Amino acid sequence: MSVSIFEGAGHAPAVNIEPRPMLSRDADSMFWMSRYVERSEHVARLLRVHTLLLTDVGDLTPVLEYRMWLTILTTMRLPSDLPGDGPIGARIARYMTFDPGNPSSILSCIAKARENARAIRESISSELWESLNTLYWTVNDESAAARYEEAPDTWLYNIMNGSMLFQGLNNQTMGHDQRWNFTQVAKFLERIDVTARMMDTRFELLTAMAMQLDQPILNIHLMGVLRSACSLEAYRRLHSAELDATRVAQFLLFQRDYPRSVRFCVDQARDAIEGIRVSNGARSPSVPERILGRLSSELEYADINDVLAHGLTPYLQKIQETVNEASIALQKAYFLY
Amino acid sequence: MFQNYETGGVFDEMFVEPGTPRRHYAPAAQRLLDMDADAFERRRRMADVLFRNQGITFTVYSDQRGVEKIFPFDLVPRIIPADEWETLERGLIQRITALNLFCQDIYHDQRILKERIIDPELIYGAKMFRREMFGVNVPRNIYIHICGTDLVRGGDGKYYVLEDNGRTPSGVSYVLENRAVMKRVFPAIFNQYRVRAIEDYPFNLLQTMRHVAPLHATDPTCVILTPGVYNSAYFEHTFLARQMGIDLVEGQDLVVENGFVYMRTTAGLRRVDVIYRRLDDDFLDPLCFRQDSILGVAGLMNAYRVGNVALVNAVGTGVADDKAIYPFVPDMINFYLGQEPILANVPTYVCARPDDRKFVLENLDKLVVKSTNESGGYGMLMGHQATKEEQAKFAELIRANPRDYVGQPVVELSQHPSFCDGQNVTSGDGSRRFEGRRVDLRPYILYGEKVIVMPGGLTRVALRRGSLVVNSSQGGGSKDTWVLEDEEGE
Repeated sequence: MSVSIFEGAGHAPAVNIEPRPMLSRDADSMFWMSRYVERSEHVARLLRVHTLLLTDVGDLTPVLEYRMWLTILTTMRLPSDLPGDGPIGARIARYMTFDPGNPSSILSCIAKARENARAIRESISSELWESLNTLYWTVNDESAAARYEEAPDTWLYNIMNGSMLFQGLNNQTMGHDQRWNFTQVAKFLERIDVTARMMDTRFELLTAMAMQLDQPILNIHLMGVLRSACSLEAYRRLHSAELDATRVAQFLLFQRDYPRSVRFCVDQARDAIEGIRVSNGARSPSVPERILGRLSSELEYADINDVLAHGLTPYLQKIQETVNEASIALQKAYFLY
Repeated sequence: MFQNYETGGVFDEMFVEPGTPRRHYAPAAQRLLDMDADAFERRRRMADVLFRNQGITFTVYSDQRGVEKIFPFDLVPRIIPADEWETLERGLIQRITALNLFCQDIYHDQRILKERIIDPELIYGAKMFRREMFGVNVPRNIYIHICGTDLVRGGDGKYYVLEDNGRTPSGVSYVLENRAVMKRVFPAIFNQYRVRAIEDYPFNLLQTMRHVAPLHATDPTCVILTPGVYNSAYFEHTFLARQMGIDLVEGQDLVVENGFVYMRTTAGLRRVDVIYRRLDDDFLDPLCFRQDSILGVAGLMNAYRVGNVALVNAVGTGVADDKAIYPFVPDMINFYLGQEPILANVPTYVCARPDDRKFVLENLDKLVVKSTNESGGYGMLMGHQATKEEQAKFAELIRANPRDYVGQPVVELSQHPSFCDGQNVTSGDGSRRFEGRRVDLRPYILYGEKVIVMPGGLTRVALRRGSLVVNSSQGGGSKDTWVLEDEEGE
């Protein structure tokens, strides 16, 4: 007689189980864990791109070089009075990598991401936790600063890869359920915010310097802007190697299918928020969903020439304000009720 | 690496005498003999990296800087033969059964006091006696669902119970993680034996919790309540929650409404039925116990008393593992079960009794004095190692509050070979080799529909030479503990 492992004695087990709702505090930690990892990646990339860029453009005037470095601070919403002395590049690098007093230093971001992950250790996969914990020990190890000095480029590259690995593991070892959706919203809101500020500060500086820039140098700067958003190669595939400020702005704002463009990120964030609402069984859009939905339509139908005619800065600032509103509405709806 | 190995007059787990391993240790000993120090050291490093990257750490309170530490892991496994384990298992089941009957009795009829087996004053003087629990019926009359009993082996090779941890014993996550790491770094030794599996512990724990769920909960929601990320055992709380697939909550996540407990979720409030609380009684409910507690849940005790939520372990079990009540456990076994104790106690002098007190005060230089209100190796006097001043200080403390102290003769813990790497563990002459270090054993017992003793447990190691203190907060380490399927390894 054959025995089936699928036939239990007595009653049939319940198989169609709805996932249970998650703790508000867990949702909060999910959100910030993901957001801080994303932020650390941006800081690493900005540092890396700036170092390369300033090598490429050769000797700038000290004032220009200084202002170029300061765009990193502006992009990360940090005050521009830097601690310490010495050449500006080295000071920025120190401040943005290991300074525990700087809330946006790579060390601070990864430490905070890990703190949040530790608070929800039980609801994330072991693979995800280990990747983040390993990344933490990479930046918090006694020899970390020495290894950075030895090869800054490699070190920053490893940080960015650490973030990419984290995202990959998040996609491949976690259920794409409500908790995952919270990490998605966080990641994309952070990316929109940094991208919009990066564009704003850099285009503003390039406009101010326009008189002093010949075409080859302007091209290098535009490449720097694209690289800062990890978009250079994708841009080239679309527009060939020909660089043009309007096209660059158009690409970073509106490119529908590229995961670094503002529009793509807004759509993803909105979908994730929708997913959160649907998994709670609610039928009409939530407040944060409405906010991002309106922004999404705006981006879908906008024309870059109109935007430039009315000023890029106010447009980018409006995007940042909307993202901030959505972020607050999300917290009100799910964390702080 | 076993050159100059000494068994030093105490019971050695691995060797009958230097060079002659016990039968069940022979294959492991041979394997270790075949390795050189570098090969062993490489494996130890591998284990350390595994622990660190997985975040398997504990928090040390006195240490301001490196707050998070790896629990030092000693790669040489402790091996317990099947017949020895069988006796331990029976003894532990007998003990947890008696302790549960004792709690039930103390908070109801108090027969054991009425028949003068235990002096009522000892009970009412116990810090952990909870008047609030008097007359409260707990689900299925189970008080201690999870027990971690500390066993030591004396110079005679016999096991003794050192204490019963019937409140919130910790360490079981290290048992499971040690095993997982051991399988990764030492598969060769592992495969020489048939080691009993321990991996079903989380499942059994969940069953134990579900067993006491209120009857109205058809599909009970079970959670673990943690004091939070800064608690020394936080890793364990997350580990168990993850292994059981249940939520880990903090006090701030819970609210009590209309006598039921709810947790705050993204979809609103959701009822909670069973709470494995890793929070002392004192902090559970600011309305009932400490008012300044922000870790607990206001109103929780009311919900508990009317049976709308189950707590694991029950409130008030501290009365059973009070160090001044511990000496009466053999009497309890006798009284409630009509049996002789299978596992022996360490002789204990209760300072609340005048004769005992006199004896303790006269022999402070020979005894171990323990505070009944502390655990984790805090508030202890190791008489034979203490200075005259320390002894005088304890004499004063004992005279002031005799109820709070007990004395015990020094138990010579058994020893087990540990690898001395020159960093965490230093050998007598500084070279890298094996030396004996003292060990104890904490098995974990679950009292649910049936009583289940996890085959194995946490072997803690005193990493300092000659030290008898194995607590992790006092620089102890741990080992993987193997209970064998049958007598001999192949």
